[in-house]
Amino acid sequence: MEKGKKRRREEEEEEIEAKNSDADHSLSLGKNLSFSDTLMALRIMRAQFPQIDKVAIQPFILQSQLYSSVKDRTQVDRELESLRREKAVRVFKLNTGQDDHGIMFLDDYIKEIEHVVKRIEKRKQGDLEVFKWFKVHVIESKLESSIEHQELCSLLSLGGRVKDEHISLLINAGLITRQLIDPTMYWFAIPNIGSILKGLSQGRKELLSLLNRRRYREMMLAALEKKRLRFSPLDMRFHLRDLIGSGHLKTAHTPTGMVVRVSKE
Amino acid sequence: MWKEIRDREAGKIRPKSFSSRIKFNRISNLQLTNYKDIVSSHRGSINSLQVDLTEGRYLLSGASDASAAIYDIQRATNYEGNGLIAKHKSIVSVDKQHEKGHKYAISSAIWYPVDTGLFITGSYDHNIKVWDTNTTKVVMNFKMPGKVYRTAMSTLATSHMLIAAGTEDVQVRLCDIASGAFAHTLSGHRDGVMTVEWSTSSEWVLITGGCDGAIRFWDIRRAGCFLVLDQSQSQLGRRPPVLDHSAANKVSVSKPLSTGQSSLVKSRAPQKKYTNGHGIKQSTIGRMPAKGSARQRLHPGMLSIQDRATAHYGAVTGLKVTEDGMYLLSAGSDSRIKLWDLESGYNTLVNFEKARLQTSKAIQLAISQDSAHVFVPCMTVVKAFDVWSGKMSHTFRGHYESVNCCWFSSQDQELYTGGSDRQILVWSPCKLITDDMDEGHTKDQDNWSD
Repeated sequence: MEKGKKRRREEEEEEIEAKNSDADHSLSLGKNLSFSDTLMALRIMRAQFPQIDKVAIQPFILQSQLYSSVKDRTQVDRELESLRREKAVRVFKLNTGQDDHGIMFLDDYIKEIEHVVKRIEKRKQGDLEVFKWFKVHVIESKLESSIEHQELCSLLSLGGRVKDEHISLLINAGLITRQLIDPTMYWFAIPNIGSILKGLSQGRKELLSLLNRRRYREMMLAALEKKRLRFSPLDMRFHLRDLIGSGHLKTAHTPTGMVVRVSKE
Repeated sequence: MWKEIRDREAGKIRPKSFSSRIKFNRISNLQLTNYKDIVSSHRGSINSLQVDLTEGRYLLSGASDASAAIYDIQRATNYEGNGLIAKHKSIVSVDKQHEKGHKYAISSAIWYPVDTGLFITGSYDHNIKVWDTNTTKVVMNFKMPGKVYRTAMSTLATSHMLIAAGTEDVQVRLCDIASGAFAHTLSGHRDGVMTVEWSTSSEWVLITGGCDGAIRFWDIRRAGCFLVLDQSQSQLGRRPPVLDHSAANKVSVSKPLSTGQSSLVKSRAPQKKYTNGHGIKQSTIGRMPAKGSARQRLHPGMLSIQDRATAHYGAVTGLKVTEDGMYLLSAGSDSRIKLWDLESGYNTLVNFEKARLQTSKAIQLAISQDSAHVFVPCMTVVKAFDVWSGKMSHTFRGHYESVNCCWFSSQDQELYTGGSDRQILVWSPCKLITDDMDEGHTKDQDNWSD
């Protein structure tokens, strides 16, 4: 399975090297030039993120997709942790089910925050300084995916006086969301991602039901990739990587090519 | 194999490494045994299994029909199949009809660690009973405020005889057999406590996992827990790296100590080690939230209640400490298994392959003596994982319904598993039939020494 993806990856590497040259510069300046496998996989998947017409969103990668592309999962976890500590990427907990994490490059996240700020500016003149404080103080120092109310207030107050309206502005913009189990903790979130997450869970269900309806619960990878999902704006390759990485599907080599099967347990 | 024996005789291989090599090979060959069968007398799903720790001879099982039974796993009660299959029936069994027996399911049955004269059962009927094995009578009964999920006794204890009980109540209670009363209660969890384990390195340290997803470490000589495991604090690698700037840390930690908020800031102190430029900033930030919430003067031991770190996103359903006391394995209802380094309290980020774990009941994990293999019940199979790399090495398929508990007996390298199909299955390294045939012949001869 990895070989099929790797072959495609190598073909596309030449294509995207030109596109990624800017990204290469920004990430390799001042840091070491050796790439870990996880970083390579992250960049390639970021370049392959599907274009969605209705929502303009920066590319993000699911953690389960990383597991399907790199063989050793412990290595993925550890490299992701070191990338997170170097502040190259940010990890968000998504609400589409157990243990889904979305990974976004920090530069993309900053761009997304700026989009959001511009959109709010057009609508009304609110206190926009809170977004600057958020970018400068909170994102830089708090690297985890959740934050406590007290800590958020204290970090924001390093920029200026914090009022409750500021926190509500942040929640309305979609940058933080309340945790359901604990009223004083917030999750960091990617703004405007709701429709995509809905598409993600519906696409997963659709793909699994597509395979479950077949007699032997399997299908050739080549034929599967050509199909289009009706309920999801994300493409088939995105969903395949995600489901293979999370263990719902598994692939096998056959004399006629790769086959994708629904795993039994 | 012969060459290795010769090497050991000649002194080329150390005896310890020779035996651990053989044990490792035997564990790699585990399969459903074809010569041993435990005849389960239970009429409900088996919730707890334990082989006694002193001799490794008696297996104690507790089931959902309020019955507990003891099996002798070294001597069979009778033989079948021409003497080839050993059948082990229960030698002692208690159930609902017993006077003062449990009324509802037994969730946990453990041996008294010192000898097999006593065993302790905890049940959903809110009672913990201590039984005398020889007379099969209840000698002590403790009434709990909620359903008992798990009981545990320390195997290292020389100065106390406390039973730690995790119930659906938020407090963990310690029951004393010597006095018959409750010793103390440990508060800090925010939901029921599903798993309790004593540490294998200290007789005073208790580890509890709750339905709120937190794993807390308690020193029972003090109030409050001294460590809460946080899954976002992790280290890359088995052991924590050697620090260069530990001197700087001591300075920044001593300042907050003076404000009296010691345990809260201590849980933040490890963060300073890994954010290199932000050490000083974090120490001031660590103090500010404490000021906001310090309106109520709390006992320093109770400050751990405010620490809301979670180890798992769901409930913690299984805990197991390795025999050397250095690592902890935890399984959660978010279907994740995590390996924690106990000295630093960090997640070692070993990724165990995705396994569907049952979410409503606690499961019992088993770990081999050299801490290389961990056996996890996942729905209807038991999976063996390599502890350091997280790769799955075997799947043991045999139960008809979900597996609830497993116990690894390191003496014979046998794995005992109990499930909801009321069966106890034995998995052992394969034994050739020809060995048995040879033994059969010698039985006819007299036991004279030549």
